Amino acid sequence: MDKHMIRRLIDEINLLATEEIKIMEVCGTHTQMISKLGLRSLLSSNIKLLSGPGCPVCVSEESYIDNAIEILNKYNLSIATFGDMMRVRGTKESLIEEKSKGKDVRIIYSPLDLVDMAEKNKDKNIVFLGVGFETTAPVIALAIKTAAERKIKNLFFFTSIKLMPPILHYIMKQPDNKISGLICPGNVAAVAGSDYFRFIADEYGISAAVCGFEAEDLLIGIHHLVKQIMQNEKKDLKNSYRRCVTPQGNPSANKLIKDVFEVSHGGWRGIGTVENSSLYINEQYKNFDALHIFTVENRTAEIKTNCECKDVLLGNKTPKECKFFDKFCNPIKAYGPCMVSAEGSCSIAYRYREEI
Amino acid sequence: MCIAVPGEIIDILSTQARVTIMGVEAMVNIQLIENPKIGEYVLIHAGCAIEKINKDCFDDLFDIFNSIADEDGNKHG
Repeated sequence: MDKHMIRRLIDEINLLATEEIKIMEVCGTHTQMISKLGLRSLLSSNIKLLSGPGCPVCVSEESYIDNAIEILNKYNLSIATFGDMMRVRGTKESLIEEKSKGKDVRIIYSPLDLVDMAEKNKDKNIVFLGVGFETTAPVIALAIKTAAERKIKNLFFFTSIKLMPPILHYIMKQPDNKISGLICPGNVAAVAGSDYFRFIADEYGISAAVCGFEAEDLLIGIHHLVKQIMQNEKKDLKNSYRRCVTPQGNPSANKLIKDVFEVSHGGWRGIGTVENSSLYINEQYKNFDALHIFTVENRTAEIKTNCECKDVLLGNKTPKECKFFDKFCNPIKAYGPCMVSAEGSCSIAYRYREEI
Repeated sequence: MCIAVPGEIIDILSTQARVTIMGVEAMVNIQLIENPKIGEYVLIHAGCAIEKINKDCFDDLFDIFNSIADEDGNKHG
């Protein structure tokens, strides 16, 4: 980290920001890094950094957790998932509460490890809860394809994989959206390519920057956005993460996603259904789709709460503007989706005690 | 959750590679990477290399910064 470079960038950005600008980041890791680095306290108060719906754990619906718990209890199998999913509550309970009752719930680092685990334990059915965005989709796809090639019969995938462009279109089309710049997720772009986000400038005339996760990455991206906005330049997309992101992304990963999944409408916790925003296991690999193999009762349960997370996820409110924040919604007992994951905007605002 | 970390490939064993991630050795899947080589850096997510890291772009940030600084110098100069 080059202190001189960072100081210079901050000074430049603050000099440019003579009016209020709203910039949204749509990656939970960016949200976390912005707070961890204390960027809000270093940048001009005219720059409002808002967090979007970029935490896949947070936007997985309550019914997704309910259905996973139903499968766990009805079929006496193992549920494996990423650690972030353990504390996320459905309408009644979380997976960690099930584990505390002695149920077989396991935290894994990679779905690829499950292929070996399933092969070694043929008498035990395993269901992997696969959540994520485009970054995680090829890894889950690779696990499914590998399981098929090795003729594994006891490993199934219950997925909640979301796509970035549809939710960004949804946000941009909100009538009261005042976002003038977008920090695009570097790791999604590593897979999908920087051109994947070009529509933000082309269709909506909004400046965008693909950023990595170091202070320099974020500040160079923010500098680009602030300069274009304040100097009323033609809006375009800047790739400030070129060491990991090419215009077209990773062709092998994208082919694998297309081979294993199909696109359809998806439910986003706190937001509702967004058209063509989710990946589902396709017909060819349906024998690995947990929802094809196991029966659940309430797949599309509609949840109605007074939660204001929708406004937080869409950038209309900051976490502290939610009436539940730090009252009866906190990381220990999360009420809304933004508080459930370590990368949720409310959870981060709570942890770092800063205005997001 | 979507965090990815850089690692250097130090050995290749069929579909997997031994990598060092900030000094810690680990095995990762390299099936999504075309023609991986020992000594190359990869971006690792959930036990899988998802993209090569272009070493030629390591200094990219400094180049971008210098262009900003030059632009600023010209503007004020």
